[in-house]
Amino acid sequence: MTEPSSPARILIANRGELAVRIARAARSLGMQSVLAASAADRDSLAAREADRVVVIGSAQARESYLNAPRIMHAAIATGCTALHPGYGFLSERPALVELCNENGIAFVGPTADSMRRVGDKLSARALARAAGVAMTSGSEKIDDVAQALEIAARIGYPVITKASAGGGGRGMVVARSEQELAASFEHASMVAREAFGDGTLYLERFVERARHLEVQLMGDGAGRVVHFGERDCSVQRRYQKMIEEAPAPILPAAARTRLHAAAVALLSGIEYRNAGTVEFLYDEDNEQFYFMEVNARLQVEHPVSELVTGTDLVSTQLLLAAGQGTLPEQAQISVRGHAIEVRIIAEDPRRDFLPSPGRITCWRPPAGEGIRLDTGFTEGALVPPYYDSMIAKLIVHGRDRNEAIERLAGALAGFEIQGVATNIELLRFIVDHADYRSNRIDTRWLERALLPAFRMHN
Amino acid sequence: MKKPQHEDIDALIRIFNDSTWREMHLTGEGIDLFLSKDPDARRPSQAATAVPRATSATAMPVAAPVAQPMAPPVSAPLTSGVPAHWVTVRAPCLGTFYSAPKPGAAAFVSLGQKVTADTELCLVEVMKLFTSVRAGIKGTVQRMLVADAALVEFDQPLFYIEPHD
Repeated sequence: MTEPSSPARILIANRGELAVRIARAARSLGMQSVLAASAADRDSLAAREADRVVVIGSAQARESYLNAPRIMHAAIATGCTALHPGYGFLSERPALVELCNENGIAFVGPTADSMRRVGDKLSARALARAAGVAMTSGSEKIDDVAQALEIAARIGYPVITKASAGGGGRGMVVARSEQELAASFEHASMVAREAFGDGTLYLERFVERARHLEVQLMGDGAGRVVHFGERDCSVQRRYQKMIEEAPAPILPAAARTRLHAAAVALLSGIEYRNAGTVEFLYDEDNEQFYFMEVNARLQVEHPVSELVTGTDLVSTQLLLAAGQGTLPEQAQISVRGHAIEVRIIAEDPRRDFLPSPGRITCWRPPAGEGIRLDTGFTEGALVPPYYDSMIAKLIVHGRDRNEAIERLAGALAGFEIQGVATNIELLRFIVDHADYRSNRIDTRWLERALLPAFRMHN
Repeated sequence: MKKPQHEDIDALIRIFNDSTWREMHLTGEGIDLFLSKDPDARRPSQAATAVPRATSATAMPVAAPVAQPMAPPVSAPLTSGVPAHWVTVRAPCLGTFYSAPKPGAAAFVSLGQKVTADTELCLVEVMKLFTSVRAGIKGTVQRMLVADAALVEFDQPLFYIEPHD
């Protein structure tokens, strides 16, 4: 990577609330920002927050936010010294990192090599294995029922079948015994064949009550990696997170220490640079965690870690990339209180989460102690139909989980949005639910228990 | 306004034919009427967003986005007094504007030059990939809005063409 001598201008290759977040962080550090926007975002809040806006292409993402040559051209032509990719879009494309390197622009993120090593599923599992991080025991491809039974006996029940060729739940069957596996294997294979044209299955140990835990990390690129605690992102719908919290109160102290150490070991082993997250599946019953994947970028839910550690992660990212800052010492990072983030999406939960783009006619966000709102929208703004439906992140901080929940409930009660359908009412329902309040949830709780109850309620 | 009837439109066409007007565009509740004595005329709504044809690997932007905001500002003298029927040729994407095929060469077009739909007006370069911008309409180059080697943004006006036969 080329180290620019006066790194002071950041090209923001993203949109929405994160583009606003980056522009404000840059300004607070005395850096300038240039937003590479699509035509649909020309008048967005992010466009107003950035020092300069260049419209790089039409609304379609492939013409704008996914168009690396145009983004690079904009960065060079406007004299940018660094590029922040945000999340989604091109954020995990090694080719963009290489393009930055070739043009002397600092990429705010990991190296292309790190990205490749953690981005490929098999390679990432190899890294985790080398770092001594546990993984769910799994199998190679399975040919028939007899082989499935043999493997299941080795890894232990319950097991889950998964389609080798695809995801989305098709071909996935949970079997708790030999009988169940024998009875369901052929059918699962047939479903996979119909869905993907390939009936090949493999087996994994099934975790009955799984939590999604992840560790926020930051590396200096020279082997030192520090963590900013963990997050619990178990309230999910179809693998999409809806609520994220920090810390994870269900983690016993010893397991928490092991979790952080595993994540640090994994990324320090590849001399990871800038922000990253290691995701784990946590089995509450036996207090074991298993490696899932690495996200080689900043994540949507980073604000909860910011609130509990009092660290501005985006500013830290920018300073590290500019060669102006150093990574804090691990001993300086401590977790205080509890933070919760809810994702406000322009989708209608009463109509099977139908996207609801349109003009925001009323926008009355909550404010108050311990309440933060990250958004790229204001009253009168148009929610374009081209991109992700998330329109805001409401984040609260309290002394403990109960106080955070009370603040969240109050903030949600006072949040009024009209013109587009949102999930605010669903979020209110979740936050009032006894299971959520007592933290008896897992990654399938929302779909299994909460959504049916919500439908009954309406 | 009452919804226009067939005979109302007949009357409008007669008035238009008898007049010295070259074009007429009438919109209202239940009507969107465009009359022109120019057989190659384009509806103003289309002309306003007319995108020149590009001839390179770069894909063309599709229709104008929802709530098309104002175009990036260009200097007032160049845009003032532009008749409504002139066609704006816009940048197909962000890039560097080149008025000539190579440094030192003559410009593709000059002010007042007659062009056809296929006449090459300029190049827009994105990371060494050159996109040729063509007039898209037969007419006369009436304004050239961008200096050579300047950064242009998507949809930025580059030329005004006065259409004619």
